[in-house]
Amino acid sequence: MDLQSLKKQENQRRIRKGFMWALFCAILWGLWYIPGTVVWVLNPFDEMYAEIAATNGDGMSLIITAVLITAFNALTVILALMVWNGVLGKFGEMKRTLKEFNPCSKWFFLASIFGGPIAILGSFIAMGFVGGAFAAVAALMYPVVGSILASKWYGEKISKRAFAGIIFIIIGGITIFGGGLLNEIGAGNVVWIGYIGGLMAAVGWGIEGAIAGKGLDIAEPDVGLTLRFLGENIIWWVIAVPILAILGFPMFKYALMVFEPLTMLVLVFAGITFGFCYVTWYKSFPLIGVGRGQGIGNLYGLFAVVFIALFFGDIPSWTILVGGALCLIGSSVMFSEDAGQLESLRGE
Amino acid sequence: MAGNRPIKFRILELCNKSGGAWNYEVVKQIQKEYNLKSDYQRDSINFDLIELAACSLLKDVEAKVDEEGVYKKGFLLHKYVITDFGKARAANACLMYV
Repeated sequence: MDLQSLKKQENQRRIRKGFMWALFCAILWGLWYIPGTVVWVLNPFDEMYAEIAATNGDGMSLIITAVLITAFNALTVILALMVWNGVLGKFGEMKRTLKEFNPCSKWFFLASIFGGPIAILGSFIAMGFVGGAFAAVAALMYPVVGSILASKWYGEKISKRAFAGIIFIIIGGITIFGGGLLNEIGAGNVVWIGYIGGLMAAVGWGIEGAIAGKGLDIAEPDVGLTLRFLGENIIWWVIAVPILAILGFPMFKYALMVFEPLTMLVLVFAGITFGFCYVTWYKSFPLIGVGRGQGIGNLYGLFAVVFIALFFGDIPSWTILVGGALCLIGSSVMFSEDAGQLESLRGE
Repeated sequence: MAGNRPIKFRILELCNKSGGAWNYEVVKQIQKEYNLKSDYQRDSINFDLIELAACSLLKDVEAKVDEEGVYKKGFLLHKYVITDFGKARAANACLMYV
C-alpha cells in the first residue's frame, strides 16, 4: 500500500474512533435519564420535596431538591471517574494538569460552571416540571451553541455537511419544543420554568463544550474531565448546598438519609452512566471536533425517548418522534462526511 | 524539570525544533522522562500526538512506513512539527523554548 492511502486509512481510523466515542456518549446519556427520572420518587428526595413544597411552594421545592440530587450525581460521577483514572494509571498526569491552573485547569473549572449549575440543574428542572422525555430532547439545541462558539473562538472548521446536520437538528429541536409547548398550552398549563430549564441545558452544555475544547488542546481528556467534575463537586458541596442550608432548607438532614440501598443503587447507576457519557464526550472532541462530537452526542435524545418508553411504558407523542427523526437525519449527515475533509479540524 | 508538566506540554516542546521530530522519538523520550513503561502507556502517548495534530497544534511534515519495526511494524511513522497556532497556545502556557 502506498503512503497516501495508508495516511488516509489512519485518518479514517481516528475519525471512526471519534464518532464511536460520541455514539457511546449518546447511548450512556440516554440511559442516564432512567436513574435521573426514578431518583425523584425515591426517599429521601421524595420526602424532601414534600416538606419544602409545603412551606415554599412546588416550584422552589423542585429547584432545591434538584440541587441536592445534582450534588449527589456529581459525587457518584467523581467516584466512577476516580476508579477509571486509577485503572488507566492517570493520577500522575492529573496532578500535573491540576497544577497548571492558567493554561489547563482554569478551563475545566469554567466548564464545570456551565455544565453544572447551568446545564445539569436546568435539565433537572425541565425533567421535574415537564417530564423526562421533554428534558431529554430540550437540550438538543446545544451543539448549535457549541459549534458556533468553537468556530468563532478558535477557528474550528464547520463544513457544509456539518452545518446541514446542525440545521436538521435545529428543525428537529423546534418540532420537539413547539409540539410540547402546543400540548401544554392546550391543557392550559404552561410550565415556563420547565422550559427555562430546557434552555439552560442547551446553552450551558454548548458553552461547556466549547470551553472544554479549548482546555483539551493541551490536556488529556480523561484527566481534564475529572478536573471538571472536581470543580462541579466544589460548586455543589462547598458552595450551593451549605448556602441553602444556611438559608434554612433541610439540606443536610436529607443528605444524610440517602444511605438506603435502593437510593444508593440508583445514584450509583446515575453516576456510572453520566460519568462515562462525559468521558466519551470529552474523548471525541479532540478527534472529530466539538461541533461533530456534540452533534452525534445529540442522538441521546432519541436513546432517552426509547429507553424511557421501554422502562416506563410512556408512549412518546408524535411530535417527539418527528423531531427525533429529524435529529437522527442531521446526525447521519455529519456521520457520513468524507474523512479527507476532516484531516485537520481547524483552519490554520 | 523533566516529568513535571502535563505530557502534551512536553510533546509540544519536543516538536519545537526545525525539521520536526519523529513520533517514535517523542514517545520514547516521554516514556523515559515520565517513567511510563508499558505498551498501553506508549500507545496512549502516541494518541496524544494524534490529538495534537488533529487540533492543528502539530502538523505532520513527513511520513514513512515502519519497515524495521522501530515503533510498530507496518504502521505509519509521522514527523511532527509545531504550528504557529501550537506555538501561540504553548506560549500561553508559559512554555520555555530551548
